[in-house]
Amino acid sequence: MRRYETIFIVNPDLPEEDQNALQEKVHSIMASFNGEIIKMEDWGLRKLSYQIRKSSRGRYFLVDYLAEAPALVRELERTLRLNDGVLKFLTVKTSDRVTSEQIQALKAAAQVDKTIRLEERPAPPEPIPTPAEAQKAEAAGEEK
Amino acid sequence: MKPPMKRKRTFQRRKVCVFCADSGMKIDYKDVKTLNHFVTERGKILPRRISGNCAKHQRDITQAIKKARNISLLAFSVVGS
Repeated sequence: MRRYETIFIVNPDLPEEDQNALQEKVHSIMASFNGEIIKMEDWGLRKLSYQIRKSSRGRYFLVDYLAEAPALVRELERTLRLNDGVLKFLTVKTSDRVTSEQIQALKAAAQVDKTIRLEERPAPPEPIPTPAEAQKAEAAGEEK
Repeated sequence: MKPPMKRKRTFQRRKVCVFCADSGMKIDYKDVKTLNHFVTERGKILPRRISGNCAKHQRDITQAIKKARNISLLAFSVVGS
């Protein structure tokens, strides 16, 4: 098994149901290609560092998963590419070979991780604007 | 006899790679807070002679910054004052 993670940015103007449908779609792809999701994170609405298709904000999703064959990644990326609501995506291979023991450990860790996160921050984390971003926002505000 | 040349000696802290010094630190393209330490205000990657990273970690940082730029976590360039 190989371990990948994919980040995709969804247009926040997309209706809620379409966003949910997209998540469903990701899950169904995983299921049909024998992939396994370790964790799926919703980072919520974040300010983009640069505009993508005229949008300066985006909702980030992170999927950490295991895949047997690269076909899964291909299919996932194809789906994301075809979906108009997806602004951008990036897939990174994090591990070339994951043994079954490691899979168990990963899952356990993900569980723990989730519980901690839920306790610490019930709401999705508010993006902290970097100084550069803050400046940019200021400049944009002045222009308006 | 010439008097010994007075050389201006500004104290320079020896820079040690922060990732070598602290092995617990991991370079991750999703960790914008850490990556921000290694870019200028304009969004350029800081050179090794400034950041003090070792070659290996500078390479990792560079890769991470480029990934982060791709997914719009970091800017390619920050224009304006």
